[in-house]
Amino acid sequence: MNAYFLLQYKLANRKLIELGINPLVGYVLGIAGFILISEYLYLKTEFAKYAVILVALTFLAKTSEINRNAFLLMVFGNKKSRVIRIIENLILCLPFSILLIYHTEFWESILLIVVSVLLASFSFNTNFNFTLPTPFYKRPFEFAVGFRNTFYIFPFAYLLTIIAISVNNLNLGIFALLLVFVVTFTFYLKPENEYYVWSFSTSSGRFLLGKLVTAARYSAFLALPPAIALCVFYPSEIATILMFLFLGFTFLWTIILAKYSAYPNEINLPEGILIAVCIYFPPLLLFLMPYFYIKSIRKLNAILK
Amino acid sequence: MILVKQLYKNYGSNEVLKNISLEFMKGKVYGIVGENGAGKTTLFRCIAGLEDYKGEITSELKPLKNHLGLLLTEPFFFSKITGEEYIQLLCNARNRKVDSIKEKNIFDLPLNQYASTYSTGMKKKLAITAILLQENDYFILDEPFNGVDIQSNIILAELIHKLKQLNKIVLVSSHIFSTLSETCDEIHLIKKGEEVKTVPKAEFGNLEQEMKAVNIGNKIERLGLK
Repeated sequence: MNAYFLLQYKLANRKLIELGINPLVGYVLGIAGFILISEYLYLKTEFAKYAVILVALTFLAKTSEINRNAFLLMVFGNKKSRVIRIIENLILCLPFSILLIYHTEFWESILLIVVSVLLASFSFNTNFNFTLPTPFYKRPFEFAVGFRNTFYIFPFAYLLTIIAISVNNLNLGIFALLLVFVVTFTFYLKPENEYYVWSFSTSSGRFLLGKLVTAARYSAFLALPPAIALCVFYPSEIATILMFLFLGFTFLWTIILAKYSAYPNEINLPEGILIAVCIYFPPLLLFLMPYFYIKSIRKLNAILK
Repeated sequence: MILVKQLYKNYGSNEVLKNISLEFMKGKVYGIVGENGAGKTTLFRCIAGLEDYKGEITSELKPLKNHLGLLLTEPFFFSKITGEEYIQLLCNARNRKVDSIKEKNIFDLPLNQYASTYSTGMKKKLAITAILLQENDYFILDEPFNGVDIQSNIILAELIHKLKQLNKIVLVSSHIFSTLSETCDEIHLIKKGEEVKTVPKAEFGNLEQEMKAVNIGNKIERLGLK
């Protein structure tokens, strides 16, 4: 059993090293990020505890995946695999429970611990076989796959836009618009299997252009409804809304270029830092995009020849 | 024509392919045979341009990869892409417009379902359908018969005959000798990264007997089964 947890620890370290982060630094950054985000959440909303419980349950549900638990059962047998699952779930819910206790939400914390122990007895399929139709079938795969993984965020973003308009809060509306873009950014974070690049009978430049055009068309499909609604209700702020819309597209293109500049590896820390700097000073994108483009062409030429 | 000349491939100090020279002509089906780890898949990956190598690989149609339908031993699928979207993606990649994917679904696959939920055989059939609809001139089929049901294997063998009729070049690897003897014009035997023999169709029977003698030997007796 110790060997299992040691292996999980090693796997986590390997993942961080692959991302170009020293494991120790990664853990410190993770804890700091967790504290900062949760404090920000508690500062902003009185419903923070529900969000904390929801996030914790989402993580816990992942450990109940049926194939994973069938494997544990096969390797460790009934009793040991049960103990492993309880310990795993307790480790996962620990930071959330501490957070709830810190905010004097004792009952919620106890409830979370009890649920995490109970969930260790259940296995279920976290991947539902229901095929969610998408309007992105003509140009698979990023938006078709990404939309299916994150579809529930879009109605939430559109609802936020409606609330923003009804309470006359443009900032909230802009936040909803940017939320749509941030979700589409995640569609491009993981590099695809090389077969899906190799298959293209096109030059690296045309391949990239195709990716950028598809991303612009499909992200417009998702981002234009809130953008148009905001423009209609805040005609005096059209320039600001269009600027954020333009920034959304530009960052999306930058992330696509960053992805292929690191291909076949994942976008790692240097690229991430460069993009983060641009969030504070967007004009830097003018230099960053050509830089990523040239690097992408070099990487893609090795496959597309 | 595809010409492989003095091909070498190393992974670090491990020499996987050694001095392979082969010639593949239009309208012919070639079998590539060898034990696990003999270098068949590496040879295919080199021809496809997915690996760097020493030596020369040339083809009539250039670049070779843009005219090649590659079926990998274990095709990769995204977690939430449907069968139809997979075919669409691969056809888009070759700028091929497919009017009715459903009509061309000869293996009766549930194209509206996520490909990741398909069985091993269904995944293989989907990947084969996609590379066929790409209208390639060259085909590399790495273990196409593995995991596929008997009915579909019959269709697959007929498809390979059809590709031959259409003057395509087809390279097939398989661990089931009968599938190769039925479809191939020539078999290349690879051992530890080297081509040890080229066998024409007329001598397939001898090759099978020879392989049985070499590989089985007295191994079964050694087990001492009771």
